[in-house]
Amino acid sequence: MADGATIHLPRILVADTGRGGTSPPPGLDAGILLRNTDLAALIDCALSNGTPPAVELDSIRGLGSDDAAVAFLRDRLSIEIMLTRRPQVADAFAAAGGLALLNVLAFDSTGLRRSLHGHPRRERVGTVISPGLVLHHMLPSELALLVRPLVAYGLIDNAADALATLAVAEGIVVRPEVAQGIAESEALMRGVGLSPA
Amino acid sequence: MTSYIPPTASDFLSRLADAPCCAAIVDGARLEAALGSRAPAVFVLRGNGLDLSDMIRRVHDSGKLIAVHLDLVDGLKADHWGVTWLARCGVDAVITSHGQLMPVIRNEGVIAIHRLLLSRREHLDTAVTALARSRPHIVEILPGVVLPAINGLLPPLEVPMLAGGFIRTPLDARSVLAAGAIGVTTSSEGLWDLQAAVHG
Repeated sequence: MADGATIHLPRILVADTGRGGTSPPPGLDAGILLRNTDLAALIDCALSNGTPPAVELDSIRGLGSDDAAVAFLRDRLSIEIMLTRRPQVADAFAAAGGLALLNVLAFDSTGLRRSLHGHPRRERVGTVISPGLVLHHMLPSELALLVRPLVAYGLIDNAADALATLAVAEGIVVRPEVAQGIAESEALMRGVGLSPA
Repeated sequence: MTSYIPPTASDFLSRLADAPCCAAIVDGARLEAALGSRAPAVFVLRGNGLDLSDMIRRVHDSGKLIAVHLDLVDGLKADHWGVTWLARCGVDAVITSHGQLMPVIRNEGVIAIHRLLLSRREHLDTAVTALARSRPHIVEILPGVVLPAINGLLPPLEVPMLAGGFIRTPLDARSVLAAGAIGVTTSSEGLWDLQAAVHG
């Protein structure tokens, strides 16, 4: 199992249920994020792939949100990256050596500050901002409040928005079609001698 | 408790025609600035829901309307009785994310504003279903600043739409109005005097 300090967060997390056999497009620093699925699909996906997926804990049907669930993800499935809305679970996952990302809702500026109050603010606990598309519209003072690494998740629906968001976040969560668009955009950029974001 | 008769949703919307930005406030300290602005309505997003009478009187005395967020003010529960309390206090509109309370709010004779929180693409379709079920007078979309970007993904809502959340500049406001919002809710004081002409 990888040490938490060396866990690599892909720039692009491709959202998937684990049933469709989705693979990240080649050429991207990308991984799979399992969400909106069930415990059996999670186990199948985690044990059948060389690289364990990231997991959105709160959307896995049948999986609890307690220490036993955290231990199962880390010890049995070797999951390295986990997203959750629950600060205590994020804290426990980080303590177990994983990289936890606390999902923070950002619907308006006052709500954002309130949502951040529960952040553990410890090593190996980063932040997921939902919807990710608002990151463009945050003030520098608000961005400074967000504990890194920072992942943008939600309403990023095309390659242009995705690449712009990657300018302010370490990672994004997108659908497979958007990931494919990013791969094509970055291939085009390389073709004309530009470095992708 | 008062015998105040609140305006209709049409009256509320017509006020936005001249000044589309409503003042969203989270504490009493901002009230004076809101009352001195062109904002046609004050949206109360924090405070003591059991002690609103002075604020409501001052807002009405200034000729403005007041909407209170049932889910966010202290002291009230987001249920039938919480709605009844606010209506009897004399608010013009009640805001909540609880769609099932829309009929209760309408029955109390005040304007029902259903706040929809959009964070994922899959929420866009369910939003339409939620609105068809709740039948609010007005929907408030958050975060409103992304409305121009998601406008093509959002099915027609068939309900007048406000946009709130991270709208801070005249350009932000103009963009969401151009994307179909009939008004903006914002805590940015600089926008409270925005005139409708700028989004024509």
